[in-house]
Amino acid sequence: MNLRCQSCGAELVVAPELKTTVCPYCAAPSVVERAPSLDRPLPTFALGFALTRESAEGRVRHWLRTRNPWSHGGLARALLREVRGVYAPAWLYSARAASSYSASVGENYTETETYTTTENGKVVTKTRTVVRTEWRSLRGEHEEYVPDVLVTASRGLANVELEKVEPFDLRVLARYTPALVAGWVAEEPSLTRGECLELARKEALERVGRRLGGFMPGDSHRDLRHETRLEEESLELCLVPMWVLAVRYAPEKPPLRVLVNGQSGEVYGRVPVSWVKVLLTVVLVLGVALGLWWLLGGRG
Amino acid sequence: MTSEAVASCGRCGSELEVGDLRCPICGLAVEDVKAVLPPEREKARVVRCDNCGASLEYSAEARAPRCAYCASVMHVETAEDPVEQAEAFLPFTVSPEEARGALRRFLKEEHFFRPGSLASEAVLHEASPMWWPAWVFSAGARVSWAADSNAGSRRSAWAPHAGQVDLMLREIRVSASRGLTKGECERLAGPYRLESGEEAPRGPEGARVERFDVTRSGARRQILESVEVVARREVERACIPGTSHRNVHVAVALSKLDTTRYALPAYVLAYRYRDELYRVVVHGQDASVVLGKAPVSWAKVVLVAAGVLALLLLLTLFLTRT
Repeated sequence: MNLRCQSCGAELVVAPELKTTVCPYCAAPSVVERAPSLDRPLPTFALGFALTRESAEGRVRHWLRTRNPWSHGGLARALLREVRGVYAPAWLYSARAASSYSASVGENYTETETYTTTENGKVVTKTRTVVRTEWRSLRGEHEEYVPDVLVTASRGLANVELEKVEPFDLRVLARYTPALVAGWVAEEPSLTRGECLELARKEALERVGRRLGGFMPGDSHRDLRHETRLEEESLELCLVPMWVLAVRYAPEKPPLRVLVNGQSGEVYGRVPVSWVKVLLTVVLVLGVALGLWWLLGGRG
Repeated sequence: MTSEAVASCGRCGSELEVGDLRCPICGLAVEDVKAVLPPEREKARVVRCDNCGASLEYSAEARAPRCAYCASVMHVETAEDPVEQAEAFLPFTVSPEEARGALRRFLKEEHFFRPGSLASEAVLHEASPMWWPAWVFSAGARVSWAADSNAGSRRSAWAPHAGQVDLMLREIRVSASRGLTKGECERLAGPYRLESGEEAPRGPEGARVERFDVTRSGARRQILESVEVVARREVERACIPGTSHRNVHVAVALSKLDTTRYALPAYVLAYRYRDELYRVVVHGQDASVVLGKAPVSWAKVVLVAAGVLALLLLLTLFLTRT
């Protein structure tokens, strides 16, 4: 592909999964425009970065210091490398969810029962009130819009990772324009539209299930089942801001990947556990338990 | 939101306004009217500053694309959230004299606990005509509900019930006023003739317009809340079987929501009675609607309480004797 820098005319090499580049000669930021396809349409919306690089790094340093006591000791002094602001592609899904549900609804009631017990060596009969549950079956219909389901469109960003740094404030959504991503790394979708649609439907159904759980009357419920039709679905491509960092916490270990929500500053990463610390804790706990046992009853 | 409405949502039919990027009810994206044709072949584009022509980058500090050379910031299209403005003013049809007359009638009304000298001693302190802000919305709503009711109950006092009902909500009035109380607004709201709405305010001299003190998104939140309140009330009134209920849950799927912002006329009058100020609100289109407070004659209250106590005492004496 023959791409030229509009500023200095130099040849640009752009990876197919990237939407932006910076000219190596004149440093002009370019946004690549490609013919859209079903799996890679033009983004409809973008959420601009609200967190600067410095504040993102600050958040990560604080996060590294406040991990659990069994995390790797090198985290507190770790070096932050390759801090990149990335616009990750995500699909914004919405639909009308019409469900038929059935459940067993528990309605409590109290009953007075008599029982016998021994008091001062005598057998006496007493009464007490007990709470019992009567299970009644309930069937019904439920209909609602599921408006803001966001799922990843990038192979580089797992949907669980996206969920960990959600939510994004979608009220400040902007219509996509190249100026919003100029000078930053912006990715093209690398998952197919079909894969993402399945992911979004699954998430929407989970959300409906949780809503139905809160919708049930009675004092309790069980066996809640629902069959939900997702109607009039819509799927829009949206670029979301994400700070991606590599944290070097030990020379012999691979760097830890940390994600920061570029809007809210929520941090996520899989904290490495120090097995030495865990082992020491186990030994310590065992030692204390053994000591106690020996002190309290072991001798007798 | 009639005057600003551009189109309606393709999914739920609700009215959209200029500046909406997504439907506020169901979340469907609003199509871009200024969309440029996608490129035929791949090319790299440098975004330039409108001001100085230098290449532009997005800045996280400015939260907008900003030119590094001339520091000008480029506007991007985001969902607008302007402060609400009234679209229709209902004219005053009650004159200030009629309003004062309504106050006099109100003061002359015979209530047992009012002081007898109220009508003769009360002095009008202030009469200010004003328009108070309100939303009037219409919508279709499919309401799903679930609740416990005593109907069909067996061992427990409650049995679960569920259902779905289609409601047409027509001209539901929601107050946005901070000057009037919720109760005052509810009682005033009914008698207005909404079809008499005009573009500009028309009424007595010096009439004030109370502004909508909320943004569009805040307004929508309040409107959706009152949709749920109305739906719940309707479900409790007409749908749930039995005579008592609890754990009422409603889920609303709205369609064709359209909202108009009104400025509604009313007189706020204050009168002075024995160094105390009391407020009375007179409807601006129907002088028979008068809401207000009146002083209480404590002497009468004490007398009545003493009388009741004496009666009780006598009754107990009489009962203990026999």
